Order: sequence, then structure tokens, then C-alpha cells
Amino acid sequence: MKKVLTLVLMLVVAASTVLAACGSDNKGNNGNATNQPGNTDAPATTAPTAEPEKVEPFSVSLRHIQIGESTKFRKAILDDVVKKTEDEIPGLTFELDGLEDQVNRFTKLPAEMAAGRPPIVFDLFGGAGDALKYAAAGRLLDLTPILEELGLSDRFLNLGQFTLDGKVYGLPIGGNTEGFYYNEVLFEKYGLKEPTTWEELELAAETLKSNGITPFAMGSKGAWVPLMLVNTLIGRYAGPEAIDGFPAGTQAWNAPEVVNALTKYEEWIKKGYFTKGELGYEYADMLNDFVSGKAGMMFDGSWRSSVFKDQEQAGELTGKVGFFAMPAVPGGKGDQTFVNGNYSNGYGFSAKANENELKAIKAFIKNLYNDEMQLRGLLEDGVLPSIKLSDEAIAKVDDRISTKVMNILGASGGAFSHYDSTVPSEVYSESESQIHKLIAGKATSQEVADALQKVQETANSRPAE
Amino acid sequence: MRTLKRILPHAVLLTYIALILFPFVFVLFSSLKESNIEIAAHPFSPPTELYFKNYVEAWVKAKINVYFFNSLYLATTSAIVGVLLSAATAFAITRMKFIKMSKALYQFVLLGMLIPGNVLFIAQYILVMNLGILNTHWALFLPYTAGALPLSVLLISAFMKSIPNELEEAAIMDGLSSMGLFAKIVLPITMPALVTVFIVNFLGSWNEYLLANFFISKDALRTLPTGMVGFRDTFKTDYKLISTGIVFSVTPVLLLYAFLQEKIIEGVTAGSVKG
Amino acid sequence: MKQTLRNPAVYALFIIPTLALYCLFFIYPMITSSYYAFTDWNGLDNYKFIGLKNFADVFSDPDFRSAIVNNIIFILFAVFVQVPLIIIMAILIGSVKRLQGFYKTTVFIPSILSTAVIGILWGFIYHPEIGPLNTFLRLFGIENIYWLADEKWAMPAVLFVNAWQWMGFYIVIVLASILALPKELNEAAAIDGATGFQRAIYITVPLIKPIISVIMMLSIAGAMRVVDIVLVMTKGGPVGATEVMASYLVKEAMGVNPNYGLGTAISLIIFAFALILTALYQMSFGRSEKGDVS
Repeated sequence: MKKVLTLVLMLVVAASTVLAACGSDNKGNNGNATNQPGNTDAPATTAPTAEPEKVEPFSVSLRHIQIGESTKFRKAILDDVVKKTEDEIPGLTFELDGLEDQVNRFTKLPAEMAAGRPPIVFDLFGGAGDALKYAAAGRLLDLTPILEELGLSDRFLNLGQFTLDGKVYGLPIGGNTEGFYYNEVLFEKYGLKEPTTWEELELAAETLKSNGITPFAMGSKGAWVPLMLVNTLIGRYAGPEAIDGFPAGTQAWNAPEVVNALTKYEEWIKKGYFTKGELGYEYADMLNDFVSGKAGMMFDGSWRSSVFKDQEQAGELTGKVGFFAMPAVPGGKGDQTFVNGNYSNGYGFSAKANENELKAIKAFIKNLYNDEMQLRGLLEDGVLPSIKLSDEAIAKVDDRISTKVMNILGASGGAFSHYDSTVPSEVYSESESQIHKLIAGKATSQEVADALQKVQETANSRPAE
Repeated sequence: MRTLKRILPHAVLLTYIALILFPFVFVLFSSLKESNIEIAAHPFSPPTELYFKNYVEAWVKAKINVYFFNSLYLATTSAIVGVLLSAATAFAITRMKFIKMSKALYQFVLLGMLIPGNVLFIAQYILVMNLGILNTHWALFLPYTAGALPLSVLLISAFMKSIPNELEEAAIMDGLSSMGLFAKIVLPITMPALVTVFIVNFLGSWNEYLLANFFISKDALRTLPTGMVGFRDTFKTDYKLISTGIVFSVTPVLLLYAFLQEKIIEGVTAGSVKG
Repeated sequence: MKQTLRNPAVYALFIIPTLALYCLFFIYPMITSSYYAFTDWNGLDNYKFIGLKNFADVFSDPDFRSAIVNNIIFILFAVFVQVPLIIIMAILIGSVKRLQGFYKTTVFIPSILSTAVIGILWGFIYHPEIGPLNTFLRLFGIENIYWLADEKWAMPAVLFVNAWQWMGFYIVIVLASILALPKELNEAAAIDGATGFQRAIYITVPLIKPIISVIMMLSIAGAMRVVDIVLVMTKGGPVGATEVMASYLVKEAMGVNPNYGLGTAISLIIFAFALILTALYQMSFGRSEKGDVS
């Protein structure tokens, strides 16, 4: 009896193995279907399309970070671009590989770059710790000629974080600013108005706290989340120039103005303004905290705005969320009307692309970086365009938050980026472990600043390679 | 009083068993619930309605069949090859007459037992990178098989040593070559040890996470442990889906265990006692 | 007849594939580890020899020192908490007549599951809001404990899950040993009036000393190897509370700034640790394992 059971089990296992194998085979077959000749459908009035060359099917690896519910609009756009490009280039199939943002940026991609084997197309962050580092090591495809060919060279708003020695190595997909989302329902309930001054912000926080609402939602398991707020605080307390000043050696991390920013963050931690148990919560948990009404405000990037018009994700809060930039801080250095602005996330391409892959890359860029897709990103997803769009295009935006964001950017004196795109990787990594220590109460703001300055100095003194 | 004494061990043991089983029951219930809210409100009670569509959703979204298949075929092939190679080597060093060489080889291979798994990880990563097999199944198959060798050789040698020589002498007189001897006589007798070694190696590769996570990036090639963690990271807060994923990955193993548990336990026990 | 067993061709055939694989994936990496550990290679640039700097850097890093402490905590927990519990459970299972098979089969289950899946499973159970553990505790008025986010609780939480996974494995091994003992001794002692408890301590335990020694060795080796459960549940957090040497290695070598030189240096340190512990253990418990082929 036992033997029969074992035999049956083996058969089941074998059968499922075969079925699974068949499943993956079908995917491969579908890829070949794009290779259909077109001349059979040519209408009689036009000249018959030329006999297509016999093209070997080839696949191009595409690494993206649009996984999960909150990025579904972005994924939809990517899917459309992929399909359009596949239709245009005979034999092409894109092999999509979706990975979580942080895992791709900080674990997979660095390792693949080190091995000299990144995917052909991949999500890339700009700046000294990412794109510029890889470009210097020769891993990234120089896109300058492609941009010229496609007439895109001057259309991008800011390619600074992807440009090395005058050559462009990556293209930002959009821009964003980081600021405060707030729960309009709760604010109304407690008679709070949208903060335009620092006092109003702290009053709002204190009021929420005394009513049992967490002032600021926070999920700090991934250190980058609290660092967004830290960055903007630095931009306020130490001035916009500080962000570039760190790697240039003109701004010390432990100068009093920067320490003030860290001390303010520390103060908020001690006052219990952040979600309890934040060190165990992920980025997605922070959103939950805010959406469920347990927290009244949330410091996050403008890329999040599309969530708040989606009933499925925002539930009762749909359409009832506002956005404001961090107000001027008392005693802050520099132009306090500057806002945080980043054009640092986009796509990069492997320097090792062969001829076919280059064709695919060109078509991909053409199909993704154009007015239509950029506008779609803005309208459907709340992602600010990275390409100059016409005013009438922009006027089409009807989402409140997106409009507010654009107004904020328009009214600002200028923008400062996130330091994660200006400082070398080791300084950024150090800031990740330091912010955790600050939150856990294991380090003071002065200690954090000193530790960061130490790493920055070491990095700055290294001879340029 | 007597009865109390008799019940006491069972009471303790049943508590322990409850502790072991409750997570599984909990996950099973959670996987069929409607949403996080229901899970949070009534964690210990069975679902009010059976939401089987969670399973469909997870299957489609998580491509668990891909991960499962990859794990299955990697673990099986590396375990089989490992068994064959170790058996051959064990036979050579225990039965064939090259005593000095065999002794040296045995000690050499045994050295591998001293090295904990993590120590070689980085160097193996660099090696795999240089060999150009990163992100292919070879990157896992080769280290898994190699990793299985020391223990397997040890176990099979121990077993083979207890086989009486007369069997071989008889076979040789009947005209068998050493290959034939190996294949037709020794291997069948060693079967219990071979099965043990197969199971131990299979389980080791099946559960392996570290190498699988870093040596493979392509989603289509991922193994179950890595795929599951990726699934959890994608659907971080959707606990009903995560529960479903867990049920998917655990059930096949439990089924296998249900059928083979005697063999598995026997194998593991015999191996460790001898080792 | 001796000739067949002296066939060098067959000998070579049977040995070479194994040796080749073993050398390539065991010996060669050991050697390259020992080499790269003294360089500052980060995968992208040319590297240079930097002597013992990696080792100096790592030992002066308080985060690494606390990782070493965490490994030691794992070992101590395994030896002083897990092993005694294992022995007790094994004896209990060995002493009951009914349901013995059931107990044996069930306790073994967690050890055949993938550590990653167990990490996900318990991560869910430990969830402060939705997890059943806190829901249960709330019935007694205990406030939410942030199991994996609170420094005080993270390490115990992980230790518990590790124990949950592996104890059954060892219980079954010890049980097999107990069941193999001749029954007469126990029966004689029972007739002489010894209680179950006394029989356990004075008869069973001494007789299974060899197997206890084996599981202690295995536990210590296991504690040195812990990394999967930490990576999946806490990634070493919060703030390094659960960081072990191997997870520190992964963070340094496979993170934003891959530092393979440092990574291999840490691998060697872990190896040295394991060797020292094994040697210490052998010396104090004197039992040499059946390793010789002679």
C-alpha cells in the first residue's frame, strides 16, 4: 500500500514538473509571435512593405522597480512602452524582471555592476553613489549620441545627476519633491489649517498628539524613509548649498547649522511625534498608518500622490489628502523658499549592449521619453515630468495634489536635491546606520553629525580615480 | 496520583506540539480570510467565509509554480549527482586497494566538514562571477553538489566499511570487473545509506537561501526560498496573500514528509549517530 | 582477484570528478578568501594589498563586536537552553507508550521547512498589530510589544524562532539513541523503586552522553552558521540588535559598496572562530568522533 502511495506521489510530482515546464515554454513561444511578417496585410493602395529580413528573435533584459499595488500606474505605462517597442523592432522580446526598489538599488545592481553584468535596461538612480559611480567605471552606455539622434538633448529639465564629463548616462523618468501630506479630515476636525509657518506646523503636530493621533507617520525600517525628512530639514537649517557642499568639502556635517537640523529631528523623536515601533515598519506600513487615520501627517515624495486618488488604496481618505512644502524654519540659513527637487530616478543602459540591443534601447527611449508618456505619467500617476512640457499639456492636470506640487515648485526660489545623489555611497550608507541609531536613542545629533563628517572627510580626501 | 504521573508527560508534550502546530493552523486560517482586518480581529478563529480566490490571486501574482519547479529540479539533480559521485568515491577509498592514497584522500575530503557554510560564500560568489555562470542554475547546482560531498562521502564510507569482503570476493570470482562490482553488488547493498544521503542533501539544497538569493537575479530562475521572500517584500502588508504564499510553499514539503517521514527520520538519525 | 580492486583507471574515474568539484568549490574559495582578505577589492576597480587593515577595521567597529556577541548569545542559548530542553523532550517522548510516533513525527516538521519561509511565517506572527501573539497578549491587558522593532525583544524573538525550527531535529536524534538503549536497565531500576525522574537522570542521561556530545557540536556549528533567519526576519536590525557575524558580512560585502576584501576577511574570522570553538569543545569533552578510516 505504501509503495503504491509513493508511486502515486512520484507521478504527481513528475506531472507538476512537466506542467510547470510547459508553462514556461509557452512564454517563450509567445515571444516569437511578434515576429510576424507584415506584408500580407498591406492595403492595395500603398506600396507593398518590403520583405522583412530574416530576424533572429532576441530578448533584452529589463529590470524595473514597479512591483506592487502602489506602482501599478507606473507599471501600466511601462507595459505600454514595452509593447510598443516590441511591435516596432522585429524579433524583440523584453524580459521584464521586477525587483523591490531598495533591493535593486543597493544590493542587486551594485553586485551586477561589479560583475560587469548588469541587465541591458535597468532602473537607475542618479548621483555620485549610483549612476556617476557606474559611469566612471565604464558600465553605462553613453546616451549623448542617441539623445541627439532623437532630438531630446535639450528637452530634459535636469540631467545633472546623470551627466559625467559632459556625457549623459541615464535619463530621469520624472521629477519629484518631498514634502508633507496631511489628512484634511483630521485637520478640519481639530481646527487646524494647512501649515504655512513653522509655528503652525509644530502646533498641528502638538494638537494631533494630544488627541491621540500620531503627528507624523513613519516606517523607518528602511533607513531611506526617515532620511527624506532629514534631508529637507538640512536644506532648511543649513541652506540649499549645503547639499552640494558636503562632497565639495565646503560644508561640514558637524557644523552647527546641520547639527540643528538633526537636533530638531531628535526633538520630534523624543516628543513621540513619530509612529510607535517605527523601526519595525516598512515604507508600506507608513502609508497604512496615514491612510488608516492613525497618523495625521506623512513626509513623503510627490510620487506617492497617485495613491490618494485611488479608492482601493486610500479607502476613506481618497481625495481628502493635502500637500504642503516644509515651511521656513526659524534661524534657517539660505533661501527658505527653496524646495526639495529631485530628478534622480530613471533608466540606465548597459555599456555592453550589442547592435540588436542598441536598436531596442533607442526605440525604448523614443517611446518612453516623449510628451505623451510624460503627460500620462503626470495625469495618471502624479509623477512630475522630466521633460519640458507645454503649458497647455500641464493645464490638463486635474489632480489637486499634482497641481499643488507644481505650484509649489513654480513659486519656489529654486530646488535642492537629496544628498543621496551628491555624496559618495559610503557617506550615504553611514547616514543610514546613523539615523537608525538616532531613532533608537543610541546616538545624539552631535554624535551622528561627527560620524558623518568623519566618513565624508575620508571620502573627500581620496584621490579622484 | 498515578494517573497524574501518567498524564504529565503527555500534558507537557501536547503543549509543545501545540506550539509547533499552531503557526501552521494560523496561517491556514489567515490565508482564507477576507482581509487584514479580519485577520487582526479574529486571529484564532476559522474564517467566516472561505476566500479561495486568495489562492488564485497568489498563484497568479507570485508565480509560485516557477519557483517550486526550480527548487525541485535543482535540489533533485544536485542530490542525485552528489550521491553518485560520493558513492563512487566512497567505494574507491573503502574497497579498492590503494590504502595509503585512500586514507589521505579521506582526510582531505573530511576537511570540508570543518568549514561552516557562510565562510565560502563570498569567495564562491567571486568564483562564480569569474566563471561567467552567475545568474544561471549552474551557479547553484555546482556549489550545492560540491557542498554535499564531504558529508556524503563520510556517511557512505562508514556504511560501506561494514559490508563484508566475502561478497566481493564471490563476485570477482564470478568474473565481475570493479565497475560491475560497484554497480551490481555494492550499490544495491548500500541503498539505505544512499537514500539517507539523498534526502539530507535534497533538504539542504531545497532550503538553501543565502547562495540562492545572491547568485540568481532573474525571476524565472529563482528558487522557492528567495521567491517567497521576494513575494513577501512585494506584498508586504497584504497578509492574506502572504499566508497563501506560505501555504503554497509549505504544503508540498509536508505532503512529501507525510509519505516519506519514516525514511527521512531514519536517515537523519542514522547519519548523525554514525557521524 | 586483487587485480580488479587495484584497477587504477577505475579508481581514478571514481575519485577525480569528486575531487575536481570539491577542490574547485571548497579548496579554491578557501585559498582565494585568504588572499582577498588582505586586499581592498570592491569589485569595480583594481585592488591593492592592504595587509591586516581589513581585520583592524572590522575589530574596531563596534557594530562587528556586537555581532560577535550576538553569535556567542546564540551559542550559549543553544547549549544552555536548547540542549537541556531537547534532552527533556526526548526522554519524555521515549517514556510514553501511546502517541509516541505522533510526537516524533510532529516535532520534526519545522526542521524540514525552508528557513526563509519560517522567517516570513514568524514575522507575521510577531506583527505588532495584526499578529496573533500580540492579539493574545492583549487579552491579558498587555500592551503591544514590538517584537522585531524593539531592541530588547528582537534577539529573544529570533532566538525563539531558531529554536522552534531546529529543536525537533535534535529531539528525534536523541530519541533514537534513547530508544536504542537496552530496556533492562530501566526496568531493573523501576523494580528497585526508582522514580521516572531518577531513572532519567541517573540512567538514561549518562548512557546517551555520546549523542548529547554530538548534538552539542551540531548546535554550536549551527549557531555559527545562523544567518538566513536573521536576514529574512530583521536584516540584523533594529540597529544591529540581531546582527550576527554572517549577516554583517552580507551587509558589508553585498551592500551598496561591495567590499569583497572586507567580506572575505570576515569569512576567515568566522572560520577561525568555528575552529577555535571546535578545538575547545574537543579538548574539554575529550570525545573524538569516529573520523578515522583506518
